[in-house]
Amino acid sequence: MNANDVIESYVTDVAVRLPRKQRNDVAFELRALLNEELQDKAEATGRIVDGTMAVEFLQAFGRPADVAARYRPTLTIIDPADGHAFVRASITGLVLIWGLGLLQFFQRPIGSGWDFLQSLGQWWGAVLIPSMWWPGVLVVGFGAASWVRRQSPQTSKWKPRAGDRINGGRTAMAMGLAGILCGLFVLIEPRWVLDLLFGGRAAPAAYQALTYTDTFLRRQGPLLFVLLTLNIPLMITVIVNGRWSAMARRIEIGLGLLTCAAMMWTVLDGPVFMARASNGAFKFFLVLIAAFTLINYGIKLHRSVRPAPNQQGQS
Amino acid sequence: MKVLTYCAEHSTVHTMGDADAFGKLELELRRGVVVLATLSQLRAPRYGYELRQALADKGMAIEEGTLYPLLRRLETQGLLKSEWNTEGGSPRRYYSLNADGRKLLKKLTESWQGMNHAMDRLLQEG
Repeated sequence: MNANDVIESYVTDVAVRLPRKQRNDVAFELRALLNEELQDKAEATGRIVDGTMAVEFLQAFGRPADVAARYRPTLTIIDPADGHAFVRASITGLVLIWGLGLLQFFQRPIGSGWDFLQSLGQWWGAVLIPSMWWPGVLVVGFGAASWVRRQSPQTSKWKPRAGDRINGGRTAMAMGLAGILCGLFVLIEPRWVLDLLFGGRAAPAAYQALTYTDTFLRRQGPLLFVLLTLNIPLMITVIVNGRWSAMARRIEIGLGLLTCAAMMWTVLDGPVFMARASNGAFKFFLVLIAAFTLINYGIKLHRSVRPAPNQQGQS
Repeated sequence: MKVLTYCAEHSTVHTMGDADAFGKLELELRRGVVVLATLSQLRAPRYGYELRQALADKGMAIEEGTLYPLLRRLETQGLLKSEWNTEGGSPRRYYSLNADGRKLLKKLTESWQGMNHAMDRLLQEG
């Protein structure tokens, strides 16, 4: 290729990345400028312009994609300030999805290397590749948040947040209290739900399905009841005061951890209900609630800030 | 301009790691002044190559791949006007400041002089 062909190829590669209405005009100008620059360099170095020299010059000029990008305003989808949060959320979500997928595909017995590879292949196809929806959702979410911040910088301004405030206010706390009372109602006697919904005319099998085992009634039932009940005075105190005190926070965390421990004991110990299906469903929800609570505490612990100087010698 | 000169004079005494940091920080400094330097040389019409030469002659060399797209961006932002001159030799697109560009140049110049003055005082204290 001679120098003209090289420049023509480069100009085309740049211009094709530009909006149609400015493409030809920029290409016309860029070609003239590149020819002049190249000629000038050849004279300065005492060389004759050829294809090799043109390639060297254009490689130093920049990748066509980079040069084309400079012709247009910078397009930022995710704010640089959100970069770390985006990567963290992506990795955490992917690890969680992949881990749950591994549990799902590797809980059946693996008798041979072939079984292992088969499960791995199924996990790869059914979990790992489709899991890319998660980073996609995050890109859309973070992009939308950036867009909103740019569109209305006033509403996106930072505002101070009291550490002792109630999330969602007193209304949310009152709803939480109502939830606890409903939970207690169901915990005391789940068959009351059937009476309430069907006026005592539900099928006998339904009553049978929601009958506690004696073991649960003797062991975990009373403990869960006491732990749930202890939340009531705590929540009423917070609603009345309109804020969380440090003591109330400590009690809430302590109660939460004890409840999680009691729930896990319930899951690992014998059956809760006489019927297998309702037993499985109940234990699944217990695991879900315990996992959600522990993750919530983990996030709070991770996000806690206690200003203190580093030890001497550390940076 | 004095800030950049100051950095360049001290670049040779740094280690390899510092040289990397110096390169990045100097690039940041240059990025901050490229627009002002470009606007300052467009009070009269100039085409891209001529402008680059004018800047380089005055000690502010800007890479072609940065300068030529910048001219188009400044024009899109409504700060420059341009026209093709196809008479004579090769066709050339000449850029110059429009009214908004002149106003911006004035404001940026004042701002730059203020910062430069402050930096001079800060660096002299050291």
